[in-house]
Amino acid sequence: MSFGRFVFTRSLQGLGVIWGVITVVFALRFVTPGDPINAVAPLDATQETRRAIAAELGLDQPLYIQYGQYLFDLMVGDMGFSYIKGQEVTGLVFARVPATVELAVTATIVAIALSIPLGVISATRRNEPVDYGATLFSLAGISTPNFWLGIMMILILAVEFGIFHTSGRETDLGDVVISVVGPEPFISTLASWLKYITLPSIALGTYFMALITRLTRSGMLDELGKAYVTASRAKGIPETLVRYKHVLRNTLIPVITVLGLQLGTLIGGAVITEAVFSWPGLGTLVIQSINLRDWPVLQGSLIVIGTSFVLVNILVDTVYAYLDPQVVYD
Amino acid sequence: MAPNDTNDINRRTLLTYAGSAAAAVTVAGCTGDGNGGNGGNGNGDGNGDGNGDDEPFEIGVTMGQMDSGLDPQDHAETNTEIVVGQVYEGLLDRDKVGEIIEGLATDWERGDGNSVTFTLRETNFHNGDPLTAEDVKFSIERIEFEDVGIASPQAGDLGSVEEVEAGDGEVTVTFSGFNPIAFQLFATNGEIMQQSWVEENSRDYINQNTNGTGPFQVTEYDSGNEVVYEPYNDYWDGEPEVDELTMASSSESSTRVNRLLAEETDIVTNVPPNEVSRIEEEDVATVESVPSARIIFLQMRYDVEPFSSQEFRQAMNYAVDVESIIENVLNGFGEITSQPTLPEHVGYNPDLDPYPYDPEEAERLVDESGHADVEITLETPIGRYLRDVEIAQAAADQIDQLSNVSCELEQREFSSLVQDITTGDIEDKPHFNLLGWGNGEFDGSQTIGPLMTTGGSLTILENEELDQLMTDAENATDSDDRVEILQEANELAHELAPWVFLHQQFSVYGVSNKIEWEPRSDEFIDPDTATRQ
Repeated sequence: MSFGRFVFTRSLQGLGVIWGVITVVFALRFVTPGDPINAVAPLDATQETRRAIAAELGLDQPLYIQYGQYLFDLMVGDMGFSYIKGQEVTGLVFARVPATVELAVTATIVAIALSIPLGVISATRRNEPVDYGATLFSLAGISTPNFWLGIMMILILAVEFGIFHTSGRETDLGDVVISVVGPEPFISTLASWLKYITLPSIALGTYFMALITRLTRSGMLDELGKAYVTASRAKGIPETLVRYKHVLRNTLIPVITVLGLQLGTLIGGAVITEAVFSWPGLGTLVIQSINLRDWPVLQGSLIVIGTSFVLVNILVDTVYAYLDPQVVYD
Repeated sequence: MAPNDTNDINRRTLLTYAGSAAAAVTVAGCTGDGNGGNGGNGNGDGNGDGNGDDEPFEIGVTMGQMDSGLDPQDHAETNTEIVVGQVYEGLLDRDKVGEIIEGLATDWERGDGNSVTFTLRETNFHNGDPLTAEDVKFSIERIEFEDVGIASPQAGDLGSVEEVEAGDGEVTVTFSGFNPIAFQLFATNGEIMQQSWVEENSRDYINQNTNGTGPFQVTEYDSGNEVVYEPYNDYWDGEPEVDELTMASSSESSTRVNRLLAEETDIVTNVPPNEVSRIEEEDVATVESVPSARIIFLQMRYDVEPFSSQEFRQAMNYAVDVESIIENVLNGFGEITSQPTLPEHVGYNPDLDPYPYDPEEAERLVDESGHADVEITLETPIGRYLRDVEIAQAAADQIDQLSNVSCELEQREFSSLVQDITTGDIEDKPHFNLLGWGNGEFDGSQTIGPLMTTGGSLTILENEELDQLMTDAENATDSDDRVEILQEANELAHELAPWVFLHQQFSVYGVSNKIEWEPRSDEFIDPDTATRQ
């Protein structure tokens, strides 16, 4: 199979998965208990009021018509209308995407920045105290629930010492970029942004950081034991070059794969972290929609999360297949 | 050969880029961390604290949930009311203890028969256009008649409106029958919007923008996250002292309290009892509580055994130690009740005492009812009301401790419970469940009517005597007579015991020491009354 055909096949599979996600998410509304009308109407609303609201929202139509209409609307980029908020779902959902992407990418950057050096040090100083420390750190990182870590960091670093903000996102990355050319001072804007982004990024990225540390360590150890390393050393290549030019580079291939997959997970899995830090992203929107029984917004959010996960997976598969000649395109 | 070579070179090149990117990311990450530390330590919190008189007076309010859109006539829940109520006003209003006061009407009186007339205030909408009688007529009709704009979930909240007439500076509303609580309804519901503004804009726009007559106008709206307001300079009741108001949300109660303790916000809502001590231990904020307009109870269906027996229902009231639940589960944030009407509401009967905790009497009444050794199940929503599950657990356990009744608890998703409660058919309702009821109209009929009379939308009781009393109350033209009838109805409801009367829920707030603000009994938040400490 050619590379182009491989990409085409993966994209088709991805489309199938996205359609599946849309269908499951649509069906969820009808299999979960509770009539959506109850979210709009007060408890003591008359049956007439309930019927009028249902008719206005199109909820009195047969299921297949609602489904067909929803699929058609999605194809033209219309995610429907939130009957709770009285607003277009597309606008509501996409307004939250930047916050979630910002958090996911920053968490990934924090994780990579710490985990790769830590993994490398751990592997190159195997069985030394620093290795034990890094292993313990990664074990703790994998075992610590991010909501607990988030709450603890808020209590200590925000409430007690006032170093960071407890929650919210009043300054975003866009403000920082604008401050480079705009009237706002760059340093204070950057500082303000860091006070909002740091704690949620650490809370969200810790598990990922621990995972990459372990992956880098084991990958490095594996590579260091291979024949080409012995050969390189025998040829007199400096140890630093052997480790960082050859070994680390080969170690990074599986790390990139996990990195891509985890980025997708971070976008979808930031729900709890966003709730703890009141981060105005897709995760918070999902929780609000569940609380309000706002099905159109919930559907839209889940579809965006699911689609981004699928897209990241396709991208990673493609890049991985391209990078690693051992991957067979089938 | 050649294509493969090219391919190899490309892979290597890409791997080189990937390696470089990883290194760059590492460096950038480390740099970012360093700056973060410096920024955090060196720059203070950057928030105006509003303590000095020349500093802008900024107030932040953090709630559990934000609004569901900014259309004041297209929602039916408290948080949205709090958000839009800063901007929009009704014809009448209420003060902090629930008394009716002027709103956009300066005078109000009953006309002949079934009508009431409001004299309008001369004031402007935030866009500068004057408030007209046509705007008021349009607003009332938009709420009540589904062919005017939307099918409002508030339909019926203003009574059975038949006709609205716009006159010269006044509006007359005619009901299909005599409406004894017309002014109570208008003091709680019916926010006024400008007709032309509504008609010229889409529903999507109206839900993200505002044009009211109230003390604040919205300057920034981030749906579901944050709303920022500025004071309306030409407000008819004087410009508020507050220079900027921000309403935000944190669904996590601990996050709300953390925001308060870190001095990032000034008022937080729904402080759970277990967080109260954390606020009280710090010197930056205090806990303020006020009895709300919400009553919590266990309702029992009159048409199924064993609850068809009045003795059995009374036994359940004797079996539950409400004082202990308030003290231990709610940390004292509740007031025991004896009747469906709350003390602040019209028709409250001050002569009724709550059922005392008396397990022996409960067992005796169960025996007398003929339902000894019965097994019952109490259904409770999860997380809908303050500590609802814990309250239900305590009540079920106390009932279960009776020697002749066995009681189990079933926790249910609120939406699923509501599904059963709101079908309009009593046979769909649970036999025995916990529920809360907010009565924003401050009138006993608005609780007894829907919940205890035949044909009430949520009723679990049919009793001719109570039905007759409520009909009499509805037709009473003398307010003193009406109060007496309602008091009698409350006495009868106490005797009939269709509920285990639990408690009046308190609204518990955390309030920054930087401000002076008193909470209201109707759960609304009015930052325009806040002053600097």
